[in-house]
Amino acid sequence: MKKLLFLMVVVLLLVALVNPVMAKSRVPKDTLVIAANTGILISLDPAVVYEVLGAVIVNGLYDKLVDYGVENGTLVPQPELAEKWEISSDGKVFTFYLRKGVKFASGNPVTADDVVFSFKRHAFIESPSVWLLHELGIDKTNVEEKVKKIDDYTVQISNDKGLAPNIFLGILTNSFGSIVDKKVALQHEKNGDFGKDWLTDHSAGAGPYVLASWERNSRVVMRANPNYWGEKPKLKTIIFLDVPESTNQRLLVEKGDADVAWNLEAQHFIEIQGNPDIQAVMLPGQANEYLAMNCSWGPLKDPKVRLAIKYAIDYDEIINDIMQGLALKVQGFIPKGYFGYVPDNPFSQNIEKAKQLLTEAGYPDGFEVELLTNDSDTRKNEAVKVQADLAKVGIKANIVIMKASQMYSKYRKQGHQIIIAGWGIDYADPDALAKPFADYKAHQLAWRNVWYDDYAAELAEKAAFELDSKKRAEIYKELTHYWFENGPFAMFYQTVSYWAVRKEVKGWEDAFYGYSMRVDWTKLYK
Amino acid sequence: MDEALQIITNIIHDLPGGKEMGLLNFIIKRLLLMILVLFGVLCIVFVIANVIPADPIGALLGGNAPPEVVDQYKHKLGLDKPLAQRFVDYIAGVLRWDLGVSLRTNNPVTEDIRKFFPATLELAIMATLISVSLGIWLGTASAVNRNKGVDHFARIFSILGVSMPVFWTGLLLLLIFYYKLGWLPGPGRLDIFIFPPKTVTGLILIDSIIEGNWTAFWNGLQHLIMPAFVLGYGGTASIARITRASMLDCLRQDYVRTAKAKGLNKRLVIKRHALRNALIPTVTIIGLTFGSLLEGAVLTETVFSWPGLGRYITNGYLVLDYPAIMGGTLYIALIYSIANLIVDILYAFLDPRMRV
Repeated sequence: MKKLLFLMVVVLLLVALVNPVMAKSRVPKDTLVIAANTGILISLDPAVVYEVLGAVIVNGLYDKLVDYGVENGTLVPQPELAEKWEISSDGKVFTFYLRKGVKFASGNPVTADDVVFSFKRHAFIESPSVWLLHELGIDKTNVEEKVKKIDDYTVQISNDKGLAPNIFLGILTNSFGSIVDKKVALQHEKNGDFGKDWLTDHSAGAGPYVLASWERNSRVVMRANPNYWGEKPKLKTIIFLDVPESTNQRLLVEKGDADVAWNLEAQHFIEIQGNPDIQAVMLPGQANEYLAMNCSWGPLKDPKVRLAIKYAIDYDEIINDIMQGLALKVQGFIPKGYFGYVPDNPFSQNIEKAKQLLTEAGYPDGFEVELLTNDSDTRKNEAVKVQADLAKVGIKANIVIMKASQMYSKYRKQGHQIIIAGWGIDYADPDALAKPFADYKAHQLAWRNVWYDDYAAELAEKAAFELDSKKRAEIYKELTHYWFENGPFAMFYQTVSYWAVRKEVKGWEDAFYGYSMRVDWTKLYK
Repeated sequence: MDEALQIITNIIHDLPGGKEMGLLNFIIKRLLLMILVLFGVLCIVFVIANVIPADPIGALLGGNAPPEVVDQYKHKLGLDKPLAQRFVDYIAGVLRWDLGVSLRTNNPVTEDIRKFFPATLELAIMATLISVSLGIWLGTASAVNRNKGVDHFARIFSILGVSMPVFWTGLLLLLIFYYKLGWLPGPGRLDIFIFPPKTVTGLILIDSIIEGNWTAFWNGLQHLIMPAFVLGYGGTASIARITRASMLDCLRQDYVRTAKAKGLNKRLVIKRHALRNALIPTVTIIGLTFGSLLEGAVLTETVFSWPGLGRYITNGYLVLDYPAIMGGTLYIALIYSIANLIVDILYAFLDPRMRV
């Protein structure tokens, strides 16, 4: 009898386990639940936040003078709290005219005082993102003279460096450009901290949502702002549920307890595509993956050797096998969806050509070199692939794996030979890439690889100050072609951002196109 | 360590009346030893954190930061000072219960610990309850039914407990009981739409009793079952094995045979005569288990999205947040030592032979 009972239980369990789970969403219609790893959040103060997830949340809580919009697939700065702006004839002064009648979530009106205050607090708080403000030529010593109130609804910001408008406005679309309610922030100020402590987990903005709560490592809750000036948000509540494991995110979404899985591993994303309740959304990402060569080291000093290495790599296999197709083939430094994007991809594996170039450079039998990367699975796989490709032309690459921070530390000291790394983009303008990748004077990637090329640096700088956008695009095109031939970089791909979103949720692609640079929470509905 | 113990013993013996102090003497001795152990942990943690070739500032600022900004931040955080100076500063801070400021959260580490520890404590207590009750029951059952089906089952169950990785068991249980069967809730401490009780102790079960919020209590309890089981499983295994061995030993004793011979009920003999004596070694292992549960929480908390100290330390590791790693580790060492101290005192209280 006991045995029979036991057998029945086992059979029942098996039947239950084998049956597919067809789950309806259990989240209310006016609420969106996003399963994400919120462990990386540090602060939700716009002057401090610098991580992608934090910036995405802050985007819902605050509005800025200008923010990115999408025009024909390209990210373009558009009016937000400023209804329009004027640029002086020499390009050195931007005058912003604020929308009238706009209120913060607190009910206070948005005025020029709040704009001046917001820039000042960022300059004085000096968080890691402050270098972006410095890019505009503004720091704590001069912020009061560079960001000036003209009247209650007019603000002038100086652009002494004469940056091109797309760069200047692009930098303002970063989280630090969020306009903070001065009265509320000062009410909670402690020891002259500009309200930083309080704003870590409270909001004082004019965005479509307000921060209802942030329980660390548990959840972040945003509620619709009843005073929002623009298109009213259709979802009343947005909850970021802390779920660090990709497997659990997947279970929650498939079960209908969450609407979106935010950080799925590639394998889970591919597997989830068969589920009819789920949309697999893929959008261009804001980061590049590359191989870089130190131009001060041995054979890599010779541009022919560098070109040979670029021809030895099989880019398609990296994208299709290692990235499982979740990457875009972009070999220039300007990503898809950016002003000035150059659609040429001149490199594909050509072993004969690579060998010939090595022979011309005096290395017919190749050489031995150190290939540095960090311990993420993707990078390790890429390193092994490159090692195999280089072996085909006689170059023996010894892989060295380090923790990312240790690797970057070595990289910053120009201590590598060949490195595989990535670059996350700070603002959606080619300048945010041309400077690091081509201008050694910016002390970034070109400098780290000792590519002291004055011609490339000159082009990158000239483009930054070119006010005519047609001419500007021409310069970037010229620079990209020069960089292909001479630069020390082999660009593997542009990353792709992807999410598993339940069918009930609409508008995700609109809301997240340009993700990490731009998110429009009001586009989402169920 | 034995030498240190001897020195401390001698010092206490030399104190006036030291020889007669008995239990108190023992407690003082153990307390002093605990301080020594904690100092050792502190030194090891500090050296490991500061000597390994990694760059916390680089991790904090990310790969894009220019070298000047990295140097600026190093200076701001005092990381450009000599190592010896930093060590002295750290010790001075620890004595004032100041464990530094977390690089990641920007809060004092002590405040972060206060915030995150209750979730871990609640999980560890529940896991201990599960592993103790299940372990003793399994151990007794398998000793009494030696070499029968129950014994084999208990042994296989125990071996699986010590050999299966926590994250694997966790994911498997979630897949079965949450996703497929829907008997238990998913990850987290409460369902998304359950309103949490007001924080008094930080332990959800206790707080919901205080508030009289039975919905939260019931939901919190359901959420605790899987992670507590997964966390306690390893402990269950060792408790069951120790109980089994010691129970077998007791069952062979003359007094058990006598009890059986005088015709006492079998259950009564096992419960009252054998088990009670067999539990003495088990008490020791419970203290150790509780300590290891705090450590083990690191993985369980990640799998079950549990907002505890383990997750805090893991997140600290990912960005090389040394103050958080050092503070969190030191705190766990402290709790571990206190748990063991309590067990030792209990033990000495129960068994006077231990006080020597």
